[in-house]
Amino acid sequence: MAYKQPLKTELKREKFMPQYMLILHEEPMDYSQMSPEDIEAVIREYIEWSQAVEAKGKYVGGQKLKDDGGRQLNGFGSEFRVTDGPYAEAKEIIGGFFTISATDYNEAVELAADCPHLKFGGRIELHEIQPTD
Amino acid sequence: MLDENYNTNDTVGHLFRDHAGMMVASLCRSFGFDKIDTVEDAVQDALIAAMKTWPYSGVPENQFGWLLRTAKNRCIDILRRNNRSTSIDEDIQNIVDTDALYFANEISEDQLRMIFACCHPEISPDSRVALTLKIVGGFSVAEIANAFLSNTESVTRLISRAKAKLRDFGLRMEMPGPNELPARLDSVLKSLYLMFNEGYSASTGEALIRKDLVFEAIRLASLLASHPVTTSPTVDALAALFYFQAARMPARSDHNGELLILAEQDREMWDKRLISRGTHHLRLSASGDTISDYHLEAEIAAIYTLAAEYRSTDWQRILSAYDKLQNRQFSAVRELNKIIVIGETDGPEAAYSLLLELEAKLSQYNLFFITKAHYQALLDRPELAAASLKMAESLTTNESVRRFIATKLRVLK
Repeated sequence: MAYKQPLKTELKREKFMPQYMLILHEEPMDYSQMSPEDIEAVIREYIEWSQAVEAKGKYVGGQKLKDDGGRQLNGFGSEFRVTDGPYAEAKEIIGGFFTISATDYNEAVELAADCPHLKFGGRIELHEIQPTD
Repeated sequence: MLDENYNTNDTVGHLFRDHAGMMVASLCRSFGFDKIDTVEDAVQDALIAAMKTWPYSGVPENQFGWLLRTAKNRCIDILRRNNRSTSIDEDIQNIVDTDALYFANEISEDQLRMIFACCHPEISPDSRVALTLKIVGGFSVAEIANAFLSNTESVTRLISRAKAKLRDFGLRMEMPGPNELPARLDSVLKSLYLMFNEGYSASTGEALIRKDLVFEAIRLASLLASHPVTTSPTVDALAALFYFQAARMPARSDHNGELLILAEQDREMWDKRLISRGTHHLRLSASGDTISDYHLEAEIAAIYTLAAEYRSTDWQRILSAYDKLQNRQFSAVRELNKIIVIGETDGPEAAYSLLLELEAKLSQYNLFFITKAHYQALLDRPELAAASLKMAESLTTNESVRRFIATKLRVLK
């Protein structure tokens, strides 16, 4: 059998950029008194932040979770049960999540620190996503 | 998205406010004015939905389309929830499909209908302004209260009462017919004039929302001026007046935020784009035979604003316009402004003696005493000037004006 030379590209180890998940927690708030002007300002701040992250090539994605409480699944087989909630009346809910890339936690924290979510009273739970290889 | 007649340049930075107004107008047309409370709730819900989701999903290409669709669906949900009868579903089926394109013209017309509704002659002038700001302008109750130097409870009451009255009339979202139009339009123009002055009369450093009132009045006047049914030389005159006054706003205070009188202002800071829009509308206002009060006021504003410098202002023409206005209906405050012009044409002694004759009518007006002090100083009576300034101070609540007076007092010493 002929000896197969490994391709040069296989020899070069790609520079790997870890990813981080930002879980946005918030307390339910009454927004009914917010003016259209105020609402526009909030959106603008979020968009500016995500665009800044994007400009650095670090923005991976984001999703909003519906404010319906979701479902809690517990137990297995005969023990399995599903419950609704927590609802918006509960203490704290998860609003949504963002995924960014960063070289390490320090950089991830730096990027997340500007997220307006913190300014508007929410907290961010930051986790590095376990690389798969 | 909107055509150039809409003057989006004048509304830069207030997109959501405008969208709110347009949504309310459009949905009231679909669901009926009597459903306005539901419509307003639905619109607010749509804006909140945008606030919650757009940070994650990004801003949609057609923002207004997204918002309107969301608001309409929400409106239907609320109505269904409140009304268990099946007839509601039938009514809703008749409403224009959510996917139907809303052309700029339709949106403008809905807004115009709403302006006429909010400025109905049967409700008080203050109510008209508040209602228009809330419903057409997309201002919140808190913002309106701030602008009127009032509180949210009073404004909420004012608006509720006005809405109730309009509902009692069985007000429909229609353009007034040709017979009613002049009177209804007159009421609208008066309301916009009031709105403009509410915003313009504020001094710098104060609630910036008041500047927003100025530009909202301009936006609505432009809207009226650009629509074939509502446009007229009188509407153009009002628009011109607004543009000329607004153009001068950036120069009203110096870099420290201190008030400057007209003679002291740096004309380079006057907004050239607004001046050019003013000139455009002034030109249009000159067609036809009508010379409304707004025409005369616009002419005065134009002469002040178009002069190359304070000294080259055509005082005689301004005086002539003031005379015409005063002959139609005397106003003491206007007389004060006229006397200031006479000070330029005939000198300080002439102006001063006229001021003394006017004092009884303006004994509680701080600007009267500031003007009196100005002439007393020119006539070399500093002790009288100081007394007048102290009088003005006692009548003043506005911080910027207070500082202005204090500076003048210091200069006298």
